[in-house]
Amino acid sequence: MHKQTHTHVWKRIRDREAGKLHASHFANRIKWNRISQLQLSNHKDIVSPHKGAINSLQIDSTEGRYLLSAASDASVAVYDVQRPTVYEAGGVISKHSSIFVVDKQHQQAHKYAVSSAIWYPIDTGLFVTGSYDHHINVWDTNTTQVVVNFKMPGKVHRAAMSNLSTSHMLIAAATEDVQVRLCDIASGAFAHTLSGHRDGVMTVEWSNSSEWVLVTGGCDGAIRFWDIRRAGCFQVLDQSRTQLGRRPTILNHSMITKDSSTKLSAAQKKHANGSGSRQQLIGRVPSKGPMKQKLHPGMLSTQDRATAHYGAVTGLKATEDGMYLLSAGSDSRLRLWDVESGCDTLVNFETVRLQVNKPLQLATTQDSTLVFVPCMRSVKAFDMWSGNTYTILRGHYECVNSCWFNQQDQELYTGGNDRQILVWSPARSMADEMDEGPAEDQDNWSS
Amino acid sequence: MTIWNYVVTAHKPTNVTHSCVGNFTSPQDLNLIIAKCTRIEIHLLSPQGLQPMLDVPIYGRIATLELFRPHGEAQDYLFIATERYKFCVLQWDSETGELVTRAMGDVSDRIGRPTDNGQIGIIDPDCRLIGLHLYDGLFKVIPFDNKGQLKEAFNIRLEELQVLDIKFLYGCSKPTIVVLYQDNKDARHVKTYEVALKDKDFVEGPWSQNNLDNGADLLIPVPPPLCGVLIIGEETIVYCSANAFKAIPIRPSITKAYGRVDPDGSRYLLGDHTGLVSLLVIIHEKEKVTGLKIEPLGETSIASTISYLDNAFVYVGSSYGDSQLIKLNLQPDAKGSYVEVLERYVNLGPIVDFCVVDLERQGQGQVVTCSGAYKDGSLRVVRNGIGINEQASVELQGIKGMWSLRSSTDDPFDTFLVVSFISETRILAMNLEDELEETEIEGFCSQVQTLFCHDAVHNQLVQVTSSSVRLVSSTTRDLRNEWHAPSGYSVNVATANATQTISVRIFSLPGSESHHKGTIRNNRREIILSSCAFEGISYLLCALGDGHLLNFMLNTSTGELTDRKKVSLGTQPITLRTFSSKNTTHVFAASDRPTVIYSSNKKLLYSNVNLKEVSHMCPFNSAAFPDSLAIAKEGELTIGTIDDIQKLHIRSIPLGEHARRICHQEQSRTFAICSLKYNPASGEDSEMHFVRLLDDQTFEFISTYSLDTYEYGCFIISCSFSDDNNVYYCVGTAYVLPEEMEPTKGRILVFAVEDGKLQLIAEKETKGAVYCLNAFNGKLLAAVGQKIQLYKWVLRDDGTHELQSECGHHGHILALYVQTRGDFIVVGDLMKSISLLIYKHEEGAIEERARDYNANWMSAVEIVDDDIYLGAENSFNLFTVRKNSEGATDEERGRLEVVGEYHLGEFVNRFRHGSLVMRLPDSDVGQIPTVIFGTINGVIGVIASLPHEQYVFLEKLQSNLRKVIKGVGGLSHEQWRSFNNEKKTVEARNFLDGDLIESFLDLNRSKMDEISKALDVSVEELCKRVEELTRLH
Repeated sequence: MHKQTHTHVWKRIRDREAGKLHASHFANRIKWNRISQLQLSNHKDIVSPHKGAINSLQIDSTEGRYLLSAASDASVAVYDVQRPTVYEAGGVISKHSSIFVVDKQHQQAHKYAVSSAIWYPIDTGLFVTGSYDHHINVWDTNTTQVVVNFKMPGKVHRAAMSNLSTSHMLIAAATEDVQVRLCDIASGAFAHTLSGHRDGVMTVEWSNSSEWVLVTGGCDGAIRFWDIRRAGCFQVLDQSRTQLGRRPTILNHSMITKDSSTKLSAAQKKHANGSGSRQQLIGRVPSKGPMKQKLHPGMLSTQDRATAHYGAVTGLKATEDGMYLLSAGSDSRLRLWDVESGCDTLVNFETVRLQVNKPLQLATTQDSTLVFVPCMRSVKAFDMWSGNTYTILRGHYECVNSCWFNQQDQELYTGGNDRQILVWSPARSMADEMDEGPAEDQDNWSS
Repeated sequence: MTIWNYVVTAHKPTNVTHSCVGNFTSPQDLNLIIAKCTRIEIHLLSPQGLQPMLDVPIYGRIATLELFRPHGEAQDYLFIATERYKFCVLQWDSETGELVTRAMGDVSDRIGRPTDNGQIGIIDPDCRLIGLHLYDGLFKVIPFDNKGQLKEAFNIRLEELQVLDIKFLYGCSKPTIVVLYQDNKDARHVKTYEVALKDKDFVEGPWSQNNLDNGADLLIPVPPPLCGVLIIGEETIVYCSANAFKAIPIRPSITKAYGRVDPDGSRYLLGDHTGLVSLLVIIHEKEKVTGLKIEPLGETSIASTISYLDNAFVYVGSSYGDSQLIKLNLQPDAKGSYVEVLERYVNLGPIVDFCVVDLERQGQGQVVTCSGAYKDGSLRVVRNGIGINEQASVELQGIKGMWSLRSSTDDPFDTFLVVSFISETRILAMNLEDELEETEIEGFCSQVQTLFCHDAVHNQLVQVTSSSVRLVSSTTRDLRNEWHAPSGYSVNVATANATQTISVRIFSLPGSESHHKGTIRNNRREIILSSCAFEGISYLLCALGDGHLLNFMLNTSTGELTDRKKVSLGTQPITLRTFSSKNTTHVFAASDRPTVIYSSNKKLLYSNVNLKEVSHMCPFNSAAFPDSLAIAKEGELTIGTIDDIQKLHIRSIPLGEHARRICHQEQSRTFAICSLKYNPASGEDSEMHFVRLLDDQTFEFISTYSLDTYEYGCFIISCSFSDDNNVYYCVGTAYVLPEEMEPTKGRILVFAVEDGKLQLIAEKETKGAVYCLNAFNGKLLAAVGQKIQLYKWVLRDDGTHELQSECGHHGHILALYVQTRGDFIVVGDLMKSISLLIYKHEEGAIEERARDYNANWMSAVEIVDDDIYLGAENSFNLFTVRKNSEGATDEERGRLEVVGEYHLGEFVNRFRHGSLVMRLPDSDVGQIPTVIFGTINGVIGVIASLPHEQYVFLEKLQSNLRKVIKGVGGLSHEQWRSFNNEKKTVEARNFLDGDLIESFLDLNRSKMDEISKALDVSVEELCKRVEELTRLH
């Protein structure tokens, strides 16, 4: 979450064993050390079998081991990212070929592009695919047979399941239709439809803090929050609502500050607050239940029409801590929202240009230090809190559609229109390996 | 070995993490409360010093320990929060002397990321609320109601993400916090917020201060009348309040701990990273602060906590060295220090490495630890049982009894030692040369066995034989009087004291039986009774002929016996003898397993004496051998002094530098260590690293090899190679260059010990840090960075040797911990759990066989047996994995199956096979294989592999104990022991908590009965089985 200084790995190991560095902080710092070194991997290759643009990538959350990819050629594939298929270059480079591919040869394969492929969150026994052929299929991983199938009203842009869920098995589907549908794997039927968007829905994301809360982003530029136990949406993000002046200053306290500049700024704040108190009433979304309910059925129409982006919302990503939401729009903007208050944090991301017509899959590091955003042919890593570009990952030859960050190994996987799946990993010192090789030969000669 | 493990603590944590002072046990008592990570200790400040009152385990790692006093209360309450988000409020019950839980709860949240800079827990000085900073961006508030009860907690958003410290300000009409934080540009600021309890939000506070010292890390709130806050930086100290700002520069230092001296908050003790304690004074005119002054006082252990007690007495708790009780003197000593160390409390933490050796070659392991850090680094020799330091010995066969006698009643020392044999009695005495010499007491009958001897008044001695009682002058040694037993009767047992005339009682077995309400059966060969008082409680100890000992609580006024307990000390008849050491009475039980019985915490404890078999013992306090014991064993009479009476004995060898790795070499009778010396004056980078050779008896440095600049010693082993009879020390190093994140260069150094010196025989450069070394098939296996590398020892034409790389294995993030067994190699990775490799001789290659796919960040690994491997990971858990050779598919065979999981709550740095106790082949316990571990908190623990039947039995016992023994603060044992890391929390399996199980022995009879009933096993049987386990450590 913070800017962290790099110190030597070895020194950190030493500080950990002496109790100077708390074990969890040790892990966070090592992870950050590794994340900060991400580059096109020099020791790991994923062999893509796809003959079309890669639209979706996901690693299973149970073992962090199996990568699921979906492509525009209607194919889906699974790879073991932990155990390589073969080693090359004397055991140095590991190649990971697909364990299986479901493509058009397969009887139950999708007819058109697969836009989304996700693992069943509980185990890797099932996975779910959504396609432009208007279908969502649920597959048995071991037999690669469809076990449940949902017919949707239009092209499926994105499907999502909640990682937190212990009481439901719902797939939330974003399609061309204005309604968001919840498909229940347990019953094989639609559980709900969520109405509110005024245009097709591009993207959908479950909350990281509640298994009942769903966030959707539409072509209408709206980001809507739904509690699926209740009808209607309970929050619409408004790009004009920010956190400035959110917290009142002491009013009945005599202001005492030491230097004049502080005094001035405090006075300004006070002023701003005074004048903006009306705005605050609307602006500050109360976090308490009763208030929420009061507002929700007849949410002010002005609020219901609020937009988060000009144009379509193309990507959504909730941070792991559940406190923030990132959104990408066809206005080439990336916004960071405070979920509790629904305010834009006003972090200015230097995005420059984003793809407009396709859902984008963003990724964040576990500690939310960095966000990885497909920016045309490159992937940019932004510092989450300053919006500054931390690094630009260049490697794809065409537009990048999807990013997945493997928290366990601190590796980033990216897929693009060039049909490649690239692995970005912390650098591994190759000098080591190369040097010991010849030494071996020498030994053989001498012995 | 098996997958059923029993984990028990041999040495409790000693790392002091928190301490506080207040009136906890009564309004008049001044208490020091100490947290040692997973335990709390309550002490009473008395004129004699610190007096322990209670020492209890906490089912959690303590993150916060604070005393507070709710409105209207006369004494303090204790607030504890744990790292796993549990909290409790404790109160002292003076009736029972126990802790009562006032409140408890869970403060975990679904949202939020755990803070990076540690959890913060604070209590409003006016007791309106408890504040917790557990997750970035969230401040949790637990409000108090008017009656001091806790209400429902809520979160307030905190915009400052990188929070360094939060404290409550004193003297504010509304609860106000001051936050020290770092911004995106690494600048540090403080800000104040008022907590609006009604709105459940913050209101911008009365003041703020920007751009502080870059090292500002600690806030000290100042109580009324001054109020405000001190901000402690590395180069400046600032006093800041709504209307004042004062700063002073300080000598660069990192303040680790502070303690307030005066209630008005005008003076503070600060302890820094070098162990220097300074006094910080706020200079003020009435309520106006006019300046700050800081004055160094002197050196202590590096402080983690400072608690000012009273009258210039200060408790200094330490994580890196021994904790201390110090006195601050008004005048400096010769070295200019105002600090006088009154007492040291042993701390083994952090144990970064250790080895198990049998230096005395007695068949009993000793643990030699690398303990402490920085200037407080040391080696500690930890040994179980009580040692006898032999002063003199004579060969004497068949001793049947021994007594010491004085030459005159006024003589403080003993002169004579009466040694009785089956058909004679011999007298030994100290001669003028202070030697033990055979002498004669003419008045004694020397042709028969003596049953009893004692000093009597008026310079007289008493001798009892089976036929008569003799009174002898101790000066002339002549017979004064004699009483003969009536014919047909003989004296069997006799006892006496000095002032009364002799009292002789003749017991018959049925008589003693009736005395004990029929609890002792007839068939014992010998019964020896001894009554004694420990810590004011009288006990009757009753030794039986079969090695069992019964103990009862004795009511001295009614003669009633209660609380019968039976323990087995050995298999041979026991003789009991009281003796005193350091003004405390103890009982020595001589048998085939000699034991000292003593009392601690009002509990009888049994500690074995490190001697094989003792038939008799008597105290012998002579001028030449003061405070000694005469011990008859295996045809030998030994005079020796006894260690302090405690279970574990710890010898400290201060090094003045930080030892990181240790190993022992049997052949050269040396230890070798990798150590480093800090030069605090010139910053963190100026370290010097050494390989040092120590004599294994004296622990003196006998040889040193200095490593290069930037070169760190990482690992050391003693090993030998194929086709070479010599034994070597191999050292792995890393070049830690300031500009690199990971070392790209290291060395393997091979030393021989020649004439007590380290001789460098060979060296091999590596392309990375050598994290680990193992002797492997007559070769050397090294973990070099991301790779496992095998080196062979090759003889060159010129007769010298060199290391040549043979093969390697890639694919690790960092191979930090490696163990080997046969051709198998077990690797503990930085973050990718355990993998199993195999060396293939024919191909000369190392291949991966299987791995655990969990993302465990490892801290230690050990091979339990061919199939089972033990790991310790970063979130304080233990786990075991099993090789699955019979798996049906490649996938199954390639996966190490997790078979055991357990939350230890301790960070394990090292496992080693071995045992702390003497393994007696006759006992069941002697067959149980054990692994010893050492942790950051100074814990030495034992993991024992149990047979399945025993495991099942103990598991039932454990689950019943959970119901009977409630955790302090209502914390759940089950939750505490559940395996927990950032990915998952699952119930503990295939590991048992030996500490809980062994606490069965401390239960009162009714609770024991309760458990006995639930298990349908007799209390005796339960005691016996649990006692057996206590012999594992």
